[in-house]
Amino acid sequence: MNSLSALWLKDLYALRNLRRMFQREPIFKVIFILAFASGMMGGFFYLFLDGFRFLSDMGGGSYMITRRLFALFFFGLGSMLVMSNTVTSYSTIFRSRETTFLLTGPIDIRNLVTYKFIESTLLSSWAFVFLIVPFSAAYAWHEKLGVMFALWTGLFSIPFVILCGGLGTLLALIAVRWLPRNRIFWGGVVIAALLFLGFTLHQHRTELRDETSFVLNRVLPGLQLASYPLAPNNWVAEGIMSLTGGQFARGALLWCTLLANTLVIGLLVQWLGTATFHAAYQRLIGASDTRKRQPELLAGLDWFLTFLPHDVRGMVLKDMRSFLRDPMQWSQALIFFGLLALYFAGFRSFHYDQFPETWRNLIVFLNIFSVSSVICSLASRFVFPQLSMEGHSFWILGLAPTGMGRILATKFLLAALAMVSVSAGLMSLATWMLQVGPGLKLLAIGVAVAISLSVTALATGLGAVFIDLKQPNPVAVISGFGGTINLVLSLGLMLGTLLPFALTWHWHVTGRLSSALFIRGNILATVWLLTLTLITTLVPLWLGSRSLKRREY
Amino acid sequence: MIRIQQLNKSFGPLHAVRNLSLDVPAGELFCFLGPNGAGKTTTIKMLTGLMRPDSGTVHIGGYDIRTQTVDAKRIMGYIPDMPFLYEKLTPVEFLKFIADLYNVPSSNLRLTIEDALKQFGLNDMRSALIGELSHGMRQRLLYVATFLHSPKVVFIDEPLIGLDPHSIRMIKNLLRAKTQEGMTILLTTHILALAEEIADRIGIISNGSLIALGKMSDLRAQTGVEGKLEDVFLKLTESGNETA
Repeated sequence: MNSLSALWLKDLYALRNLRRMFQREPIFKVIFILAFASGMMGGFFYLFLDGFRFLSDMGGGSYMITRRLFALFFFGLGSMLVMSNTVTSYSTIFRSRETTFLLTGPIDIRNLVTYKFIESTLLSSWAFVFLIVPFSAAYAWHEKLGVMFALWTGLFSIPFVILCGGLGTLLALIAVRWLPRNRIFWGGVVIAALLFLGFTLHQHRTELRDETSFVLNRVLPGLQLASYPLAPNNWVAEGIMSLTGGQFARGALLWCTLLANTLVIGLLVQWLGTATFHAAYQRLIGASDTRKRQPELLAGLDWFLTFLPHDVRGMVLKDMRSFLRDPMQWSQALIFFGLLALYFAGFRSFHYDQFPETWRNLIVFLNIFSVSSVICSLASRFVFPQLSMEGHSFWILGLAPTGMGRILATKFLLAALAMVSVSAGLMSLATWMLQVGPGLKLLAIGVAVAISLSVTALATGLGAVFIDLKQPNPVAVISGFGGTINLVLSLGLMLGTLLPFALTWHWHVTGRLSSALFIRGNILATVWLLTLTLITTLVPLWLGSRSLKRREY
Repeated sequence: MIRIQQLNKSFGPLHAVRNLSLDVPAGELFCFLGPNGAGKTTTIKMLTGLMRPDSGTVHIGGYDIRTQTVDAKRIMGYIPDMPFLYEKLTPVEFLKFIADLYNVPSSNLRLTIEDALKQFGLNDMRSALIGELSHGMRQRLLYVATFLHSPKVVFIDEPLIGLDPHSIRMIKNLLRAKTQEGMTILLTTHILALAEEIADRIGIISNGSLIALGKMSDLRAQTGVEGKLEDVFLKLTESGNETA
């Protein structure tokens, strides 16, 4: 049997077993996951539909935006997919233990690269279904398009996803094979990227013109780029619309263009992968870290933290050093917050500060929402599995003359300190750039800090309740039952904290709430915020501590 | 069956393997010993084609591992100390996958798998997922998988890790039986008693260089130590460390 067929047959076995495992799960869990997935799709559908209605109500250039939004959507999706698949391809092709295992077998490298390319594309793209389906459905609903629209969207989406995945894989292959590994080079790249971004933002600010398309481009950055005729996302958007509108020849032409480009990218991945895999793999595993490393990272901090009890200090330093020595962890955090910081820093370039008060108010709450969402996802990704990641070395903490409650409290305080600093910093930046009043500024920072505290406590507490010391893979811990519950509760908690304030302020600036009622509303929302934060911080930590104390190791 | 000539590998300033030359004939059980960081795993990685040497050649069954990689891999098997296994497959599915990879003829495959699972005491776990197996059972499954395509050469890194006394006895007997059938086995271990008990020849590597090679009697003669392999090993590696 061909090795590629053998590998796919193996995946088929695994898929069959997954179904078997799913059948063994408690029915409550299955219903919960299905309900959550459907709720999420439904929520996205409603959100997108509401967005389209909002645009229609705006009048003027809204028709142009709606028309181009489809291209912009695929542009954004494609860009995310390229970035995501660059990272996924690196870990799937070069860093997975399966690759090492398969390399000891008689597998043709072309087959190995093809298999891994498809695997990484599937891994990095499946979640986009949760965006493509509700967006397309909402668009079709709003524009009153026929059922065939769904078929055409599927027909165009598949090659588009493979094309973007292929571009990501090509970037990963080139990076591993040829990009220099030294710090000076990467430092230069970061500085150049920042300069480029700064320059672009500056240009954006100075080139204000009156034409509609330019104004639209201010409101929705990237609109012009997304509508570029040679961009694949434009072929997808135009192709779907052509087929839906009965222009079959144009639609077929665009689909064939997309397919031909996808096949070329696929061939390039195969060719480059086959030609460079061995050299790239050797470069990766044979590379030595010749940097002179200090025997102690953050040595000065040891002295600085002398005010802490010795066991707490030990745990704090261990966790900080482990975090800093794991580029996967800090780079993800940096990307998340760095992108948000860049976005906030560009507010004045997009003239958001000159928007009417109603809009600025809306933007402030949307920003608290985005910062809190990132906090939720980071807490789920890093804080929730941190106890499980102690893994087989948990006995060291277990045997140490310190209590389980103390271990949990230390984990919480360290994580909370990081999350609170970042969220408060980002909200200060956003409100400063928007030039909002001191009341709204204080409120935005306060809400973001409260959400950070409770979400971190929830992730720490539930992480202790659902601790899994046998699982070496953090992704498996996160995607388990406990991880899913944690994410859902975090998002619910965030909305529960944010909505009372958001509604009070929105109704006030739109004139639906008098000043007296506005003050009363704020007082009530503040009492609710304090109560909720207190409960959601203390209860999960208490539950987690109790669970750790009762557990046998 | 295994021919290594002037093998070298460096990681930056560290010369992990230096000028290693060795011939292991068919049907021999060769034990490769050395202190931690001596270069054993690097050597095995180069022999299995996972790592490319800076210079030198490796031939497995007459095939050059660099230029005839797929042919060489077709006749060899490798058991690492911390093996990767597909956790979401059952043992039977995993073995069928390995059979497909190595193109094992499908006639009698089912019977062969059944017999092997029985022989290794895994028959009751044939429908369990590999993720549910204990470490010892996984290790046994790996032996079944490695021998499924009847390789001519097998490399084993620490063969007895995590195994119970019954399994240890079984593995020892199996390795002996396989070499008697003509299979060549090269294994690395820190359990010197195992090497002394089952090896036809022993090679000791220290600081990347082969410092001793031969049967037990040869090693004793070389060191002048009339005792167990442990004494011989310590004598050799101590002097190796002193020179280093």
